[in-house]
Amino acid sequence: MNIRASLSRKKLIGLTAVLIAGSMTLAEIPANAADPGVSATEIVLGMQLPETGSASPGYNKVDDAMRAYFDYVNSKGGIGGKKIRLEVKDDTYKAGLTISTASSLINKEKVFAFIGSIGTQTHIAVIKDINRRKIPDVFVNSGFSDFYKPSVYPTSFAALGTYVTEAKILGKYLKEKYPDKKIGVLYQSDDFGRNSLEGFAKAGLTFEAKKTSADFIAGTQGSPGLASQMTQLKANGVEIVIIAAVSSATAVALLTASAIGYKPEKWAVISVGADATTFQTIAGSRGVPAASSAALLTGLITASHAPAPGDTSDEYVAAFKKINDDFNKGADKRFDNNVMQGMNIGYMATGALMGTLNAKSTFSAKNNKTCQANAKKATLTRVCFIDYLNTNGSKVESAAFTPLQYSTTTHEAFSGFWIGAYDAATVLQPISGTRVVYSTDSGNGPVTVSNYKRPAIAADALPKN
Amino acid sequence: MKTISMRKLIAAIGAAALLSTAAVAIAPSAYAAAPTCSTASDGIETCKGTLSNGAGYLIKVPAKYNGTFFYWNHGIRFTYPLPGVITVPKGVEELTPTSASTGLNIDTEMLRAGYGLATFDRVSPGGIRGWNTVDGVEMLKELIDTVKAKYTVEKGVVYGSSLAGSILTPFIEKYPTYADAVGHMADLTPSPSQSLQSLCDYFYILSVFADPTIKGCAAFGVKGLAGHYAAAAEFGKVVALLTAWGGNLGAPGLEYPAALKGSGIPQRSALLLAGLLIGLPTKSAHMDGITTSVVIAEQSINATVAILENSGEALATGTFAGQAVSEITGPGFYDNTKTNWFSLLDPADSGRYNLGLSGDGAIDAMLGVLSMAPRVTGDAAAVAKFKALDQSKFTSTKPVVLLANEADRLVFSGNSALYVDRARAIYDAKLATYEAARDSAATSAERAAATKLKPVWNVVSLYAMTPETYTKYTAAGLPDFTAPASPSGVGHQSFTKKQMMAWVKILAHAAKTGKVGTPVFLQQYIKTAPYLNSDLDYRPADLKYNW
Repeated sequence: MNIRASLSRKKLIGLTAVLIAGSMTLAEIPANAADPGVSATEIVLGMQLPETGSASPGYNKVDDAMRAYFDYVNSKGGIGGKKIRLEVKDDTYKAGLTISTASSLINKEKVFAFIGSIGTQTHIAVIKDINRRKIPDVFVNSGFSDFYKPSVYPTSFAALGTYVTEAKILGKYLKEKYPDKKIGVLYQSDDFGRNSLEGFAKAGLTFEAKKTSADFIAGTQGSPGLASQMTQLKANGVEIVIIAAVSSATAVALLTASAIGYKPEKWAVISVGADATTFQTIAGSRGVPAASSAALLTGLITASHAPAPGDTSDEYVAAFKKINDDFNKGADKRFDNNVMQGMNIGYMATGALMGTLNAKSTFSAKNNKTCQANAKKATLTRVCFIDYLNTNGSKVESAAFTPLQYSTTTHEAFSGFWIGAYDAATVLQPISGTRVVYSTDSGNGPVTVSNYKRPAIAADALPKN
Repeated sequence: MKTISMRKLIAAIGAAALLSTAAVAIAPSAYAAAPTCSTASDGIETCKGTLSNGAGYLIKVPAKYNGTFFYWNHGIRFTYPLPGVITVPKGVEELTPTSASTGLNIDTEMLRAGYGLATFDRVSPGGIRGWNTVDGVEMLKELIDTVKAKYTVEKGVVYGSSLAGSILTPFIEKYPTYADAVGHMADLTPSPSQSLQSLCDYFYILSVFADPTIKGCAAFGVKGLAGHYAAAAEFGKVVALLTAWGGNLGAPGLEYPAALKGSGIPQRSALLLAGLLIGLPTKSAHMDGITTSVVIAEQSINATVAILENSGEALATGTFAGQAVSEITGPGFYDNTKTNWFSLLDPADSGRYNLGLSGDGAIDAMLGVLSMAPRVTGDAAAVAKFKALDQSKFTSTKPVVLLANEADRLVFSGNSALYVDRARAIYDAKLATYEAARDSAATSAERAAATKLKPVWNVVSLYAMTPETYTKYTAAGLPDFTAPASPSGVGHQSFTKKQMMAWVKILAHAAKTGKVGTPVFLQQYIKTAPYLNSDLDYRPADLKYNW
């Protein structure tokens, strides 16, 4: 049968059109238009944090460090020719302002994504709306595990290990190290504190209410203070005190204990409340000399998912410290945990953006063709950015000692922590001389030693995603 | 709903017993009276008359009438008076949207723009007001018929406030040719029962934590004046409670229930919890929910005072609106046997207001006590009637423009969001039908037929916002309630002239084009009205109930 002869001219034209259209479909998947906050030359990211107010000390350095890293990236040409601009809003740790500043970042600044937002109590006020709008909410600085369930908040991704994970690891260590000691806890009675207690309980560490367990309402550590809590723990003979609270509460607790003559054998503090320079800044504002506050810190145990900022032998610390020296325009650029965290978020975000714009990246089966086509045209979309994190989270480079755990089933960040104690120079040193990284999950999985080998940082300190 | 002054109410509660039992009654007439018209020197023609049931109506038409008529539907009015507090209308009170807090209306502006204006006093035979929404639908139709009999109406807009929402949607669904656009202001829609359930919860929670003699909505249901005053007396207990809390800011520890006595949980934490459980705004006329002072030491304390400031008028109006509902449903429309108090507290609220709630321990204790407290068992038939008060189906394709205050203390702004959700569900179903037809179409005729099925999304929701902060403090650090209230975003049916006119102009354009307009078009009007939210994707907090 002669096919050509059997088709009318009209049908032939139609068939040709279909074939042409089909070949286009196969060869050229149309790319999407860019989302808000993205142009040919720029990517706009937004951040909320307490720049001022009682909760600001220490945390108000994270944005400066992050911006310094982005400025460094921009000095190297940016990402795919696009410079990163970080818009920062001060919510003073008041959730009402977090709501209005988020609105401003979305509607006025037109950010592509939220990044590095700080504060559980504040972020909980906006996370639902950010997710409803399908805006990426990446590297959130809260360890509250409920934030990182993709089934509830599909666009939110953590920058910290969860409080449950950290408490499990720290609790197991303390329980095994001090089996005969009376261990107590001071915690803030909110999501942060409750999450931490859950982790301790999973490690088999439980406390007796009003005896070995003292709580306070977050925000009251300054006034009326923590005297009754410290007196309670002292009266009940608590020998090892764990603190699951923000930095300002840690400072008040240690200073109050000192004032009432309470000297527990050990202090152990969840990492977000254990930054040395933050502690010393707050103590200094209360008239405590640096030498005295350093003495109070000495021996204090805490955990960390990344190298200690004082560990100058670490290649990431060395690289970030140089960038901090060269690019940080903040008022206080001392290289501490907060600066380290800001730098690492900048580094991870850069890697994730580079990966999203890399045409060789593999995305989910659903979005792979479109996202690769977008990458070819240097088109950045929110869907592909989130897809990249879900699909390639473990490949996003980081200074941490365990990889990001991101997937379609969890948006928790790091599963691993090492445990250290502050030395007299307020540098966190591995508790047993050699750094051992323990890993676990937020569920009932065991705590094990991690064998993960962190990739080396490149000579130019840029990720290679 | 029409708001009630808390201050006036407190003064009037004692005087209620002195009232005579006479109620205002209007004798129905068999036919609508012919309008009586006159033209003023400014060229505005005013027509007055009565509908067939005796209710008055008012029409005004400017000399430069542009062919578009606006038909205004007011909020709730009450059948019975309360001296100094509730005045039963003697006729038409509002011709156009009128701010409940300032009394400002836009009669002049709308007439100057060339619109014809009409409204009616929604009173049913026997002087019955309140929840006479079924009558309201027919009265609105008669008003429009009356207008059309005298004037040439090219385009018509039905719009209204508060309770009118329960009239406007059923109206446009029943009489789709009677209007070209629909405007909802602070509307109690899709259903008044969802909002009233929360207000009834408020009474119940206060009875558990503060005054076990409060019966709240469980006490409503006696018909007539006796029921009205029984409700007023019930409300007197709440007035006493709120007055005391206003004096001491809820500082004493909880006395009720016994399980919490001596717990150290202050009464203000119970008040804050109660407000959050019902979704009462944490911003009020004077409190922004954010700023602090030496007395208002933390944002959540500011929010607690906001809830206190909002409570009086919300509960006052809720009381009489609830009583009016019970006239229709009978006693027992409120039932909380299946209420899960824990689920009503938004995790975001428990985190954000943790200090004011006295921490997680106190939250758990209070919610635990509420869960164990004896419940109110309603009457099944009354509950069913209650939930079926609004028969809206959201099937109209006419453009709909909603306007709400961010922090409306009475008809929460979540009503607008729920309206949009209901309309969206209908739209999505139509879209799915269209897409299925389009995808299966094999011939050009089938494709053409499928195209006709394509729905148009024709709803937009506007919100008037508050400034970021606005609380003023006295030298002693106390909130200054004598300072000017927030210029926008608070109160019920309280908008600025510019906000109301922006809404009206969008409605007029929608009536002409059949569409609410593109975002770019809408922004042209939004930017003319300060504090009107330019974020068209804004969504307020959801209502606590959705049935």
